[in-house]
Amino acid sequence: MPAVRLEDISKSYRMYTRQRDRLQEALSFGRIKRGRDFWALKDINLELEPGDTLGILGRNGAGKSTLLQVISGVLQPTSGTVETNGQVVLLQLGAGISPDFTGRENVMLNGLTLGIPRDKLLDRFEEIEAFADLGQFMDQPVKTYSSGMKARLGFAVAVNVEPDILILDETFSVGDAVFKAMGTQKMLELRDRGTTILFVSHGVGMIKNFCNRAMLLHRGEMLYQGGTAETVDRYQALLSSAEAHRSGELADAEYEIAEQEDDDYLLDTPSFKQNPDLEGRAPGLRHGTGEARIMSVEILDEDSRPVDRVDSQSTVTARVHLQYSEDVKKSRLEITLRNKAGLDVFSTNTNAENAPLEGMGKGERAIVDFTFEAWLQPGQYSVTAAISSPKAKNVYLDWVDVASVFKIERAKGQPAIPGLVRLPTTAAVHGPDKARQDS
Amino acid sequence: MSASASKAKQGSFGAASRVLSTIYDQRWLIWYFVQRDLSKTYRGSFLGFAWAFLGPLVMISLYTLVFSELVGLRFRELEGNETLNYGLYIYCGVMPFSAVSECLTQSTNTIRRNSTLVQKMIFPIEVLPLIMAVTSMADKLLGLGVLVVVLAVLGYGIHWTLVLLPVLVVIQLLFVMGLSYLFSVVGAYLPDVRETLRAFVRAMFFVTPIIWTVDRVEGTKWEPVVDYNPLAYLVGAYRDVIIYGDPPDGTATFWFTLLAVGLFVAGLACFVRLKKNFADLV
Repeated sequence: MPAVRLEDISKSYRMYTRQRDRLQEALSFGRIKRGRDFWALKDINLELEPGDTLGILGRNGAGKSTLLQVISGVLQPTSGTVETNGQVVLLQLGAGISPDFTGRENVMLNGLTLGIPRDKLLDRFEEIEAFADLGQFMDQPVKTYSSGMKARLGFAVAVNVEPDILILDETFSVGDAVFKAMGTQKMLELRDRGTTILFVSHGVGMIKNFCNRAMLLHRGEMLYQGGTAETVDRYQALLSSAEAHRSGELADAEYEIAEQEDDDYLLDTPSFKQNPDLEGRAPGLRHGTGEARIMSVEILDEDSRPVDRVDSQSTVTARVHLQYSEDVKKSRLEITLRNKAGLDVFSTNTNAENAPLEGMGKGERAIVDFTFEAWLQPGQYSVTAAISSPKAKNVYLDWVDVASVFKIERAKGQPAIPGLVRLPTTAAVHGPDKARQDS
Repeated sequence: MSASASKAKQGSFGAASRVLSTIYDQRWLIWYFVQRDLSKTYRGSFLGFAWAFLGPLVMISLYTLVFSELVGLRFRELEGNETLNYGLYIYCGVMPFSAVSECLTQSTNTIRRNSTLVQKMIFPIEVLPLIMAVTSMADKLLGLGVLVVVLAVLGYGIHWTLVLLPVLVVIQLLFVMGLSYLFSVVGAYLPDVRETLRAFVRAMFFVTPIIWTVDRVEGTKWEPVVDYNPLAYLVGAYRDVIIYGDPPDGTATFWFTLLAVGLFVAGLACFVRLKKNFADLV
């Protein structure tokens, strides 16, 4: 008997631009059509045996959470059938916790809310308490807890009662390394005991290490289901191709991933791009006179593909698309890479790299590539781009903070970079004895 | 918890018995939640649970002071009962009324207020209106309990009819639950109902003989206001049992019980039938 079986699951929502449209449509009994159908899930099939662990991958809005909710029975599918055998526990961060009550009281409240019988909760209370490891905070109201502590408490309740099917939605996104390690350990135990585990995570490593199966969702459709390594590869391919189409995607909601071919960005002269996200930037993240505008900032890998993650020590290009709205005789474009901690790690500009921007006319566009070796510590980086004119100091024509975000990953076979950067270094060994002989 | 398949479609009898057994299965959940909701307001205060009794005591004192001493004198004569403490008379009517009014106004918001439970968790949401009704009733019962003690202390005596109180409470609970289920559904679909109901409840406060006595409309053209008002029956019945020591009128009780059971069945049926849509509505 399968633990979970989904047959042609689809879920659609009717979207209305205004509340009034919804009412009009309801009152007209189908004669007036105002809404649009939005398919959050389309024809999903899945069968899991007890003990299977499934990782669900997909970009934001791919339908991952919706799928988990449908499997758990919280949401009803529009069509198709869901079958689950055994007790299902759906764990979502902070759900079902009463902030005014103590950890102890919340174990009972949250446990009962999750659908766990009271006797079982009382039986397992000590294990839950030990696992949550809250110390004296157990008797303090939960509102005094940190988010990691809350997650620990919720997780402790859900895993210690041995559900048949455990569904986790981004549970590990908070919590420190110790909690993650303990959580993984506990989940391994559950898996070996035959609990079917489904979880959504953006952490590809977690899914690779832990799951025996994975599924890739995109816009409500299942793109792939199978082994974790293959699924993760496809997910990463999807991420980078989606990044390439970011500007086009918003304008044209109907694009298909299959249509994307590489030739688009392999052309010698790069095509001009505009990232609509940058337009609506908050004033704190963007300011300037507006004589020139930074339209888009992309990160390209060695093969000039737009990506959002690159290998450390590979060649990376930051491509900036500019548009001038006035005649600007001389201007200077600078980019700054900032790490997760907000530290400016590296900065350069067109003058320093001997590529001055001169004699730009009104309405003219320019694309500037900064190509460098990313000898940087792996992690998340943001790019700040700014155009200034030499006429006035500290006045920017345009200044955009976090114009682009990318991740540097340690490539296989590369040594780790322990500091912030790896400087070009040579090492030579001079034995003191030899030195004496030389002199 | 046994195996569940959400494709099952059974007859309404099967559905009803399944709902009732869910409610029974969830008795601990209901118990803990009622406890939680009852103690929510006293949380963090120094006196803690003592407020459950102090609160009503303060109210009773205020009612007695204002209505008996300041404005109650004339009514006392009209009622023809010199020993009647008008403040206590009002208080005894306010308690059952506010259990109903609280549930009416709050129920429209039940689904939205508990959106996490409805949308994000595997939760038997059919217990939510029930928890609300039970909490509200329990709170008001505490208030009435304090009233009974005060009456005894003031020398009005304790009547044998108090043994009928549990029966009355059960009937009212059914009535209140029925309303809660019904308006939870209505409120989930039509959020605007909330404001409408607020106005309605405010009007009902004055239309029901809470701050005025029934004999004021007897024999006038306004008599139907009392005769066809289920809340008037409820308020009257509590007063009969607690203050006057008379059993409530049999025919009226019969009709009210019928109404309460009908409301409960209809409300629960509506709720169970439509609850699967709630997650999409909030």
